[in-house]
Amino acid sequence: MEYKEIEARVKKVIAEVLGVDEEKITSESRFVEDLGAESVQSLELVAAFEDEFDIEMEEDAALQVKTVGKAVEFIQRHLQEK
Amino acid sequence: MGLKEKFFEKARDTCKKIVLPEGTDERIQKAAEVLKKEGIAAPVLVGNKDEIISRASQRGIDCSNLEIVDPLTYPGLPELVNLYSESRKVKKGVAERILKKELVFGGMLLAADKVDGMVAGAASTTASVIQASALTVGYAYGISTPSSFFIMELPDGRVLFYADCAVNIDPSAQQLAEISISTSSSFQKIMGQQPKTALLSFSTKGSASHPFVDKVQQAVSLAKEIVGDSLCIDGEFQADTALVEAVARKKIKEPSPVAGQTNVLIFPDLDAGNIAYKLTQYLAGASAFGPILQGFAKPVSDLSRGAKVEDIVVITAIVCCLV
Repeated sequence: MEYKEIEARVKKVIAEVLGVDEEKITSESRFVEDLGAESVQSLELVAAFEDEFDIEMEEDAALQVKTVGKAVEFIQRHLQEK
Repeated sequence: MGLKEKFFEKARDTCKKIVLPEGTDERIQKAAEVLKKEGIAAPVLVGNKDEIISRASQRGIDCSNLEIVDPLTYPGLPELVNLYSESRKVKKGVAERILKKELVFGGMLLAADKVDGMVAGAASTTASVIQASALTVGYAYGISTPSSFFIMELPDGRVLFYADCAVNIDPSAQQLAEISISTSSSFQKIMGQQPKTALLSFSTKGSASHPFVDKVQQAVSLAKEIVGDSLCIDGEFQADTALVEAVARKKIKEPSPVAGQTNVLIFPDLDAGNIAYKLTQYLAGASAFGPILQGFAKPVSDLSRGAKVEDIVVITAIVCCLV
């Protein structure tokens, strides 16, 4: 899957889970500081990415990812290993 | 009869169903065996059934009478998935994935009234237990801050509740107000008596001025706004004014139902709370039970990761008293 496609789908999932405007999400956006993610929502974000891309992510490593761009790279690595 | 035995006796009266999501942990399995055998609670272990049974038998633990629920094969799973997906407004696929996590699954059993309480944390962090509880059972009415309390049993038999000594490092006035309300309600449920809740400071009713004092005064006003007169909450008081009637008579001009007869002590921050409970434990020879989580819509408690089997049994009995 192309980086651009992954990025678009990641942004769509974030907009759904966090209830933010998709237009406002950039690669540099930080989940907590910029997108207002509450700590309780981190598990739901991880589960939503897993559901969208049909992958399993290691929870502790996934929760270390702080920005949208890093999340796209993280998911891309999982898709390549699939 | 000591306080611990009183908790056991009260728990035995109703023998509540308590979910223990860390079903493969050795201490949890041993605690479950004791709880069942002593009739204190009906434990429900979460995890893979074969794995739980084989580990228990290797450890010489009898779990033949225990209820074991596997999140992957639980017949009521579709109901829990629907409930989660509706309450959190996420897709069913997301709910299905998240409910594979034992802590979240345990919380959802509680949210759906399949059990009466949840005890976890022997193998998970406090943050994970709070997160799972917030996602499933949610917070109590008027509360948005989870907190914790200790039950202190003094050598003369007096019982005092201390909060927050474990969770909130530097609570705001609003959070302090919520901690006061949650702890008052926990005291009422567990002790069956009227809580008299004092918010502590180095100042008594404006005797000193400082932003620290302002925060506690604001918290008292906010707590009164939220609960009205239904709970006895007052302050700000110095500890001696809160605890000793003679001092209260001298220092307080207006009559207060709390000063001099406090049974619930609310500390301004975690420094004060944590230091105070340990000093009471080690200098006054008090027994400390806790920390017990509070602020959720249903009884949930965390365990310290170093918890011994007996600690787990006692915390579970206290959670039963909160149902």
